[in-house]
Amino acid sequence: MTLAQIAALVVLAAAIGQLKRGRQLALLAVSTGVLFWLQPPEPIPSLGFWLPFGILGLTIVSWILTSASDERGWRRTWPAVAVIAAVVILMEINGFAGPSINAAVVVPVPSKVLLGVVALAGLVGILWRWQAGRPILLVVLSGLIVLVFVMIKTPGLAQSSASWLQHLPGAWEGIAADVPFSWLGFSYVAFRLLHTVRDRQAGRLPEVSLSEYVTYVIFFPAFTAGPIDRVERFVQDLRSPHELRNDDWLDAGTRLIVGLFKKFVVADLLAVISFSDLLVEHVKTPGWMWLFVYAYAFRIYFDFSGYTDVAIGMGRLLGVRLPENFNAPYLKQNIALFWNSWHMSLTQWFRSYIFNPLTRQMRSGRAMVPTWYAILITQLVTMVLIGLWHGITWGFALWGLWHGIGLFVHNRWVEFARGRWPAATQSPSARRAAAILGVFITFNFVAVGWLFFGLSTPALTWKALRMLFGAA
Amino acid sequence: MQEELILQLESHVATRILKQPGRRIAADEPIISSGLIDSFNLVDVALYVEDTFGVRITDTELNSGTFDTLGQLAALIEQRRGRA
Repeated sequence: MTLAQIAALVVLAAAIGQLKRGRQLALLAVSTGVLFWLQPPEPIPSLGFWLPFGILGLTIVSWILTSASDERGWRRTWPAVAVIAAVVILMEINGFAGPSINAAVVVPVPSKVLLGVVALAGLVGILWRWQAGRPILLVVLSGLIVLVFVMIKTPGLAQSSASWLQHLPGAWEGIAADVPFSWLGFSYVAFRLLHTVRDRQAGRLPEVSLSEYVTYVIFFPAFTAGPIDRVERFVQDLRSPHELRNDDWLDAGTRLIVGLFKKFVVADLLAVISFSDLLVEHVKTPGWMWLFVYAYAFRIYFDFSGYTDVAIGMGRLLGVRLPENFNAPYLKQNIALFWNSWHMSLTQWFRSYIFNPLTRQMRSGRAMVPTWYAILITQLVTMVLIGLWHGITWGFALWGLWHGIGLFVHNRWVEFARGRWPAATQSPSARRAAAILGVFITFNFVAVGWLFFGLSTPALTWKALRMLFGAA
Repeated sequence: MQEELILQLESHVATRILKQPGRRIAADEPIISSGLIDSFNLVDVALYVEDTFGVRITDTELNSGTFDTLGQLAALIEQRRGRA
């Protein structure tokens, strides 16, 4: 988001936060509108309308499948439907009459939009009634979400789909633009939806209305880059009466200012000396390479944590306490503690739905595998998947592998050291020295790891690594 | 009653997980957020609690938000055992 967009959203958040009644519906309406407003240009311009529409459709379908039939009264639900429909219609009208709120969104002709709406309504109607098929439908829904995720996050597949779509005769409005295809916010939306589907399958999902569910999934402060909240917690905040008091303004304001400073001042300055494909191709000495690596490490932290601060600050204005994402990650003594304090909402998601279930299986199955093997597999699988969540490329997979191996080695070291040097016998100064050494090693490990994450090919990463350690 | 429970948990964590049988862990000492037991060990703790006390801690609850000390874990076990 640009500074101007953030400023506008802060004002909106403050305004909605003042509402005594109708806060929920206002939040739903604004979040739906922001979905369209933030949409970046797409190779097929009218996708700028259909992608947000797709997110809305997918979310509504997910709500139907994850809510119990007796929870969904039409009387409770129709205001949310009306609000969403009104915003979609507004976007459509706006696209035709006068300057669009977002030049990147080329709206399809009304007849096509009507067709889309009718198709969605038909699907929703069928699912609303059909209870018996629900368990299998939840599995199908999960599969669909993952499939779409893979398609849009794999660069080659995304481009092919976009080209293929472009060539469908007469299908799209607007002249094709030469921009990469991306689906804004989908990574986060997918994970929020999957969380609700998994919780429903485990029987843990509380009753949630359509308005609350959609607001949770597309909540505008957290839409573009998280944090990934949990629906139970989010809905509790939504339902509690909210009054903006002095300490809310103070906390939110501080958070926002700190976040904006971190992102638009510190991170943007560091960006100049952070490594990039271009810099790596031209760097001549290890000294410069190390500078670029450290700069990137700090830049990515300030950028992402600054963004999270802004999201949390906006959420605070709206009466929602979004979860934290960072806890002084570079000050941690070991890689395990690092991963407890970096992008915490994402790692919590992975722990809940990947790591813990997988570990449970490996620890209580009939064939008990050796402990070290179980640790290796669970760490590698989880970390590589975390890497691939960012994008399905070799670079991200290698980054995950780097950290998975690091975590495994750390775990084995701790086992070894516990036997050799029980903590109780260490002097305070020895412990302090170990702590400082730990922070140094951990930070450097993570910093070098970013080379896999931030460069576009493994070949460039290899070049950068060789440069770091003196080989040209 | 809870004290016995805490001692039992402490003994299990020290002996089976930390592999340091004599190790003392205070009832209010943070064990998850401090990194004393890692996420892998935490699953083992959950399995132990399930096998020994019949109390289930679900995958989404295995974090310091649900319990961070042995005292909190003991309270959670008692609470859930009482319901069964």
